[in-house]
Amino acid sequence: MNWPDLSMGGYGFYVWGSYIFSLIAIVWEVVSLRSRKKALTQQQSSNTVPASVLRERTHETTS
Amino acid sequence: MNIYKYASPAMFYPLAGKMIPWFAIPAALLFAAGLYVGFFVAPTDFQQGDAYRIMFIHVPAAWMGMFLYVLMAIYAGIGWAFNARLSSMMASSIAITGASFTLISLVTGAFWGKPTWGTWWVWDARMTSTLILLFLYIGFISLQAAIDDPRRADRAGAVLALVGVINVPIIYFSVQWWNTLHQGATIRILGKPTIAGSMVAAMLIMLAACWLYSVAVVLIRLRCIILEREQNASRFAEVGA
Amino acid sequence: MLRWIVERDLMLAWRRRADMLSTVFFFVIVVSLFPLGIGPETQLLRTIAPGVVWVAALLASMLSLGRLFANDYHDGTLEQLLLTPQPLFLVVLGKTLAHWIVAEVPLVLVAPLVGVQFDLSRETLWILFASLLLGTPVLSLIGSVGAALTLGLRGGGVLISLLVLPLYIPALIFGAGAVEASIMGTSPAPHIYLLGAFAIVSLLFSPWATAAALRISLE
Repeated sequence: MNWPDLSMGGYGFYVWGSYIFSLIAIVWEVVSLRSRKKALTQQQSSNTVPASVLRERTHETTS
Repeated sequence: MNIYKYASPAMFYPLAGKMIPWFAIPAALLFAAGLYVGFFVAPTDFQQGDAYRIMFIHVPAAWMGMFLYVLMAIYAGIGWAFNARLSSMMASSIAITGASFTLISLVTGAFWGKPTWGTWWVWDARMTSTLILLFLYIGFISLQAAIDDPRRADRAGAVLALVGVINVPIIYFSVQWWNTLHQGATIRILGKPTIAGSMVAAMLIMLAACWLYSVAVVLIRLRCIILEREQNASRFAEVGA
Repeated sequence: MLRWIVERDLMLAWRRRADMLSTVFFFVIVVSLFPLGIGPETQLLRTIAPGVVWVAALLASMLSLGRLFANDYHDGTLEQLLLTPQPLFLVVLGKTLAHWIVAEVPLVLVAPLVGVQFDLSRETLWILFASLLLGTPVLSLIGSVGAALTLGLRGGGVLISLLVLPLYIPALIFGAGAVEASIMGTSPAPHIYLLGAFAIVSLLFSPWATAAALRISLE
């Protein structure tokens, strides 16, 4: 294993710039998905019909 | 065992949830492994110096952008032909990931171009075709965003994606022709770095990492889309927990 | 049926002649803007002429696409057309043909005149005319797919542009390429042949895609 030249032979800005941009894009994607999911599940739990009410409603249709 | 039950969004939702860690964790590991091989094992290139190491993210990202577009078109086509909602949702989910990879490949390509060719942007056939691919993704995403009715959005997207996928080879061919015609004005690429085994290994590992990452992220987004569209179905009443 | 649709659309367009003219005026104005923005040096103008004229033609076509189906959609005629026993392919082909005659042919006829602004030779002007004559059907045909997909949506013209401009690129490359070849002195024939090939392929496949898109938009 050879420890790499961190300045990348003078091209450090370009190499690290690319990887940092890619990292930002990937992190952005994951984070925005997380918050989308969270918003949805919060919405779901506030929309959730309690099980007892659900049972009542389905029974209503049979009467 | 009836696997066709998984064609229903409600049935696929928990399965997708279980699948995600199986892709996300190996993806993270492979990214680490690929970067290790790419930076610690692969030697400095004779012609391009260390700048070539951008290739390890640029090339996989470009390939993913292209593969994902075709995959998106296939899922959209299946969703349209068989009236399969889940398949169309999958296509919508892939779109953003594919566009993201295409953008990564364009930006990293520019970062590679500056030290290698002297300019941030070069109108060579591949970069130009990738730019057009990004436009195709943007068109698909915009069209679906503009249509309120989800089923109409699915089908319209399918038509657009299929027309796009047929056009991609035509566009690539046209751009290549255009590029060779105007060669006098463009700066020629210095030539691929001599491919050492470790370089190939690093690229393939990164490609695998990108694939696994894409599957994980697409499945996560798919679950969000399923929730958004199927919200009112009572079988989702328990999901909130 | 085809003839009926074409005649009907032509008649309706004739009642709105101003729309036809506005497309042509837009084209002329846009083409004239470039020298104003870039400078009057003739050599430079000759270099940019193929691209500028073609891009202006693309933009002008795109602006006119909205009109292809919108009017019929709004008054319910389009739904009725979908219900006829005649194949939708023919209806679409007819409407696209009428659209081409009304919106694109004037551009093709005016193009040599604006080409003069760029100091193009007689022969190049002919090639410009020919390339647009072959290329504008491609623009109408592919554009019709975009118009059908975006029927009735907000977002309007910009959305159609996003969808359709990437698909126009091969026609642009070879159309402008033909004119440029003529300026350089090399043969424009390969470009023209390829443009012709695109025209034939889009003639065969676009109406089918547009018909499918119309059904999707109208159900």
